[in-house]
Amino acid sequence: MTALLEVRNLSVAYGAIEAVRDISFTVEAGQIVSLIGSNGAGKTTTLRTISGLLRPKSGEVLFQGKPIHNEPAHAILGMGISHSPEGRRLFPRMTVEENLHLGAYVRKDDGVQADMQRVYDLFPVLGERRHNKAGLFSGGEQQMLAIGRAMMSKPRLLMLDEPSMGLSPIMTQKIFDTIKELQSLGTTILLVEQNALAALALSHHGYVIDLGRTTLDGPGHSLLADQRVRDAYLGEAH
Amino acid sequence: MSTVDTSAKRSALAPFGKPFAAAGGVLGIVAALLPWVTFVLNDGNWPDKSTLQFFDAPFLVTGFRWHVLLLGILVLVAAFAPIPSRGRVIRALGWGLTLVSFVNSAYITVKGGGLGAITALDGATAFGGVVGLVAGVLTILAGYGIGIEPVGEWKFKISTPVAYLVLLLSFGAVLYAVAAMLTTGGVGSANPYAGAIFLSFLGFAAGVLGALSGVGYVRWLSALSEQHRVFSVIVLAACALLLPFTEAGNEYWMTVAANIGIYAATAIGLNIVVGLAGLLDLGYVAFMGIGALVAANFSGAATAYFGFDLPFPVAAVIAAVVAGIFGAIVGSPTLRVRGDYLAIVTLAFGEIFTRSAQNDIGGFTNGSNAIPGVPALSLFGAEFNKSISIGAVKLPAGVLYYVLIVLLVAATMAVFANLKFSRIGRAWIAIREDEDAARAMGIRTGKMKILAFLIGAMLAGLAGAVFAHKNGTVSYESFKFLESVTLLAAVILGGMGSIPGAVLGAALLFVLPEKLRDFEDYRLMIFGLALILIMRFRPVGLIPDAHRRAEMVERADENAEEAHVEAKKA
Repeated sequence: MTALLEVRNLSVAYGAIEAVRDISFTVEAGQIVSLIGSNGAGKTTTLRTISGLLRPKSGEVLFQGKPIHNEPAHAILGMGISHSPEGRRLFPRMTVEENLHLGAYVRKDDGVQADMQRVYDLFPVLGERRHNKAGLFSGGEQQMLAIGRAMMSKPRLLMLDEPSMGLSPIMTQKIFDTIKELQSLGTTILLVEQNALAALALSHHGYVIDLGRTTLDGPGHSLLADQRVRDAYLGEAH
Repeated sequence: MSTVDTSAKRSALAPFGKPFAAAGGVLGIVAALLPWVTFVLNDGNWPDKSTLQFFDAPFLVTGFRWHVLLLGILVLVAAFAPIPSRGRVIRALGWGLTLVSFVNSAYITVKGGGLGAITALDGATAFGGVVGLVAGVLTILAGYGIGIEPVGEWKFKISTPVAYLVLLLSFGAVLYAVAAMLTTGGVGSANPYAGAIFLSFLGFAAGVLGALSGVGYVRWLSALSEQHRVFSVIVLAACALLLPFTEAGNEYWMTVAANIGIYAATAIGLNIVVGLAGLLDLGYVAFMGIGALVAANFSGAATAYFGFDLPFPVAAVIAAVVAGIFGAIVGSPTLRVRGDYLAIVTLAFGEIFTRSAQNDIGGFTNGSNAIPGVPALSLFGAEFNKSISIGAVKLPAGVLYYVLIVLLVAATMAVFANLKFSRIGRAWIAIREDEDAARAMGIRTGKMKILAFLIGAMLAGLAGAVFAHKNGTVSYESFKFLESVTLLAAVILGGMGSIPGAVLGAALLFVLPEKLRDFEDYRLMIFGLALILIMRFRPVGLIPDAHRRAEMVERADENAEEAHVEAKKA
């Protein structure tokens, strides 16, 4: 069986600077897979390339066995890859509802209203304040909206870039619980995180990225136990 | 106006709020009844017989003094009647009083040679202006003393027939105000005091409008018209078509109103590009020029490129399509350049158009000789530039053009409104807010941006086609950089992304120069000053779009929060 997403020897460069060098990883359907690594490791660049916002220098991205790395962003979204970008990137002057509508922009079916209701069921706070401007919500609520917006395109693969950034520990836990819930409802999730502990704890598989390369990989719990990971990313002093 | 300032003023002035308002109101009424000029000016007595020789004001209050009297009474009413947001209303009325008094006093002082003209001279006294100014300033301070609360919100609901009646009366009042705005001060430079009368009227109108908006009436009315949209549109259209039957119904004002309409339609097109999609276009009037040239060349004018004339609707469609094609071409760099760089590209395009037209490139423009003699439109034998009679009612020349242009503006509005609330409009607004995030939503940003340019240019081309026939001559001179800037100013002044805003902006920008003719060389300076003041005190535009308004409110909230935090620290 082919993996849902397979990235093979991917390299991406901004001009002469290579941000991603020869990264390979796979995401199996139904799993949560996380990419962890420090700042500037190339995680965000990898996600942006998968979603068609950047073009690779070399290498391949296969979605359900089909190469997609030369497809435009809207086509990739249409195939079922949704990307919640770093820093949430909501439309702060638009209402919750308008943001969700834009999340469903590529869809032409009439299930949008029902899916919107599903997002409101998942995040009641959004439903209660659906006509308020997104910019007026707290950081955690904005992250909920960002995830909800990404879900509105009915993705098979949901890519989340740093969903815990800038959130309190309680809110971070809540977001990770939601990610787990989305996975149990059938969405495959590719998670990019600096919060390695929380991310690996709920991942089926993890990849450690350093200076644009995959340096380690394995099931989430075994990476959590790996001394090198603990030293480098979990902030344990000896 | 930072929040810190007003709260400081409030604390110092709070005890004086109501007394100042009462004093301001009374003084305003007194000012209206006092003489304003000590002698007769060279150009004749001041408009409403306010000189001593002609002083009959206590029994016959007319013109600007009627406005002063009305403002004074309104201040007293606002001070003692139970109304929401009292401070805001009183401040607005105070500004009205101040502006009317200032305009009249300043003008008399300059024309009459010194302060003696408005105070005391040769035993004669005329303190109306001074008292009016004092009343105005007192009233503004009273507004701050009472406190500037948020705009009032009216919660109560009314039944549909009553709502219809309210809308009918309100839009009728708007029609009356528009007619008064156009005709006040008379035609062009025929009246030596036309400019001053007009500015004074503007001050009065601004005061009353500010008060109505402050008390919450304007917001309530716009919610009401949103609720009964179809009815409102019909009434508004009817009001627009009734303008020829008001005092503005003569050839001169029909021409001015038609010109305003052409520019308003163009401004709405520009509003798609700038207001919705957020792309700065500094050469937009070129598309109007292209439309005008295409229509002129198909019109059968003597120097037209094509020796045959097409029916106007066909020529207008071709004009729109050609302009649209150029729009798409100019828009294509938007795929690669953003922001300032795009502005430079569009600026260059506008300049290329002017220079090419001036040099008759391709033989389409007749160079600096222009294309004269574009025939007037006609329908069933009625020529659009002649006066017509319907039964016993004789309508002034140009009224048919006016009707055509009202239809044009209505059509442009319909296009704009439909686009704004469509999937395309949502995509444009998303691009304006955050282009990268829009791409992540699957919006084909390049295609959408070119589409914005294309549709905007088509609307301008259509307006240009009407322009060609109405003015009879098409010269490159009508489509220079200054016109582009004025159109952009109309959009920003009215409120980006807002339809009534674009119309009001275009109306102001094309009426003001007409009205300020007797200021001669100072005309553009006053014009510029007015623009700066409006943008300083109302940066979202006169009738802002809901999104933009929200943005400013958020900023104000942030400021208030910061001030609060700082105050706590201190």
